[in-house]
Amino acid sequence: MNSKHILTIWKKELRDTVRDRRTLVSMILVPMLLMPVIMLGMFKFMSEQAAKQQTQIAKISIVGGDYAPQLAEAIKSREGVEIAEVDVQNYKQSVAEGRIDAAVVIPEDFQDRIAGEKAVNLELVSKSTNANAANAFAAVSFVVADFNAGLLEGRFTARDINADILSGVTIVPEDLATEQEVGGFVLAMLLPLLIVMWSIVGGQYTAIDVSAGEKERKTLEALLLTPVKRIDVVFGKFLAVSTVAIISVVTAIGSLYFSFSYAGDLGIPMEEGNGLSMGGAGGSGLGFSIEPQVALLLFIVSLFLVLMFSAVILSISIYAKSFKEAQSYIGPAYIVVILPVALVNSVPGFEPVFWMFALPAVNAVLLFKELFMGAYDWGHISLTLFSLIIYSIIAILIAAKTYSKESVLFGD
Amino acid sequence: METFLKVQNLVKEYKNGFRAVDDVSFEVGAGEIFGLLGPNGAGKTTIIRAISTILSFTNGKIEVLGKDNLRYAEEVRSNIGVLTTDIGAYERFTGKENLQYFGELYGLSSSDLDKRIKELTELLDMGGFIDKKAAKYSTGMKQRLAIARSVIHDPKVIIFDEPTSGLDVLSSQTVRDFMSHARESGRAVIFSTHQMYDAEKLCDRVIIIHKGKEIAYDSVENLKTQTGERDLEDVFLKLVKGEGV
Repeated sequence: MNSKHILTIWKKELRDTVRDRRTLVSMILVPMLLMPVIMLGMFKFMSEQAAKQQTQIAKISIVGGDYAPQLAEAIKSREGVEIAEVDVQNYKQSVAEGRIDAAVVIPEDFQDRIAGEKAVNLELVSKSTNANAANAFAAVSFVVADFNAGLLEGRFTARDINADILSGVTIVPEDLATEQEVGGFVLAMLLPLLIVMWSIVGGQYTAIDVSAGEKERKTLEALLLTPVKRIDVVFGKFLAVSTVAIISVVTAIGSLYFSFSYAGDLGIPMEEGNGLSMGGAGGSGLGFSIEPQVALLLFIVSLFLVLMFSAVILSISIYAKSFKEAQSYIGPAYIVVILPVALVNSVPGFEPVFWMFALPAVNAVLLFKELFMGAYDWGHISLTLFSLIIYSIIAILIAAKTYSKESVLFGD
Repeated sequence: METFLKVQNLVKEYKNGFRAVDDVSFEVGAGEIFGLLGPNGAGKTTIIRAISTILSFTNGKIEVLGKDNLRYAEEVRSNIGVLTTDIGAYERFTGKENLQYFGELYGLSSSDLDKRIKELTELLDMGGFIDKKAAKYSTGMKQRLAIARSVIHDPKVIIFDEPTSGLDVLSSQTVRDFMSHARESGRAVIFSTHQMYDAEKLCDRVIIIHKGKEIAYDSVENLKTQTGERDLEDVFLKLVKGEGV
């Protein structure tokens, strides 16, 4: 191979890419601006929804409130509950039509059964398709649990028994997940998918432009007529595509990380308690740092991922005669890659087995998840890197072979 | 006259059995414009691609400056300049940047490249547009840029495939003048065309190809004498219609 020729082609293709507005938009602008906006927007939306859920008022009607005035009063005074008056005969219709979220039906013999220390069935009528029914159920359950505790305490006291025996077993929650792990959990859900996505999308336009685009512009034959060897042509183009893709990946991840770091300053809550914990202190942002060795491994794996995809996209693109045709080839290929990756990424509690670290792209996602969670399995790391290197070499050789096919080059 | 290009019994057969070139032989010497003539689809472009090593061939032998083009493909490509029918350019680059890129690929030093670009800019009258983006070029401008690109390395063998096709009178004249200039400077010029007027004006000798086969190979004057026709176009028509020499 002639490094001077490769360098000349690499420089030219990069220069050409920088001058192409389409590529610049897809390579820099979209990952730098759009992705953080989408991700942060999604978090903001989820956060608002969670907050809304917490402050949602449940409209409840009490049927037969006079039979248990103390319980009815407790429900009325429960925070987040609004008592609605409905026709006693048609309370079910009111629930069905969504005018109220739930109806509590107190039986006529409530006081007698309580006095006789018998069980009381309290009917709670709701409609599960009503999003606020769960809130109503939670509010009533809380009040009833409180009422029961008071009732039982009274009964035990009357029998001169210490009410503490009611305590039994209680749960004291303690989360052992470190900030690193909590932050890593959220990052592990997002970043692997993004890295794989940008490894393909980042270099896609350049790959098409340097292959199918060259055919469309009618410059390919002139290039092949130079004394440059075919493998050098392919390698120069391949390096240009890889460079663009890796810049794109780094830009996407960097801007996303930066955005999350300053999410608090942007008014997007990340603190614990709203289900969106990023392990940050005081809700000022991510509060999560990636260790240097993880960052290095992340970069190395991403690099090989990019090399593999760049060669694959280049091989596919050269078959096409035009930019449009190339895009129609890459679209389905993209889905074939993303589907298993998304599946592996989203299945809760998915436990990968060793051989899965040899599956292209899937292995990178699995490894990224482990690294973000602070787990270093050198067997997994080695297999992932080794298999990605092998796939990259195969993909480059296929690209070089494709560039030697007369039917592909001169299929005119 | 030193032989710069030698094509012997060239055959190109595709997998489906179609013979695009069938046993064609010819030689081109230094300081000569050689016409590669034939109707569309005769096999001219296939022959040019085979000579320039970018298309494999089934049988035969090709030598450029005494070098076998299969064994010394890169060296052969360094010594030939081919103007293809595709005159596309990198449109986001200026004409000068296009030439610089190809010059670097042909291994020219920075100073030689600058000198050569200047020389070609004058010769092909490109001064008015060489620093403009190629996207804004007219067909004539693009053709001149393509010519400059094909000879940026000052090759000894120049192959022009339909160089005047689609050009106006002035641009065609520039191309013809360039070919004459190349002949005068001792280059071997292969001029592939189906425009007999241009061929008659420029070519010293010609080969006429029809359906991949050689049907005539001689000087223009000899062919006129042999066929009894007054001009090359009539010679061509007579031969292609199968009346033979």
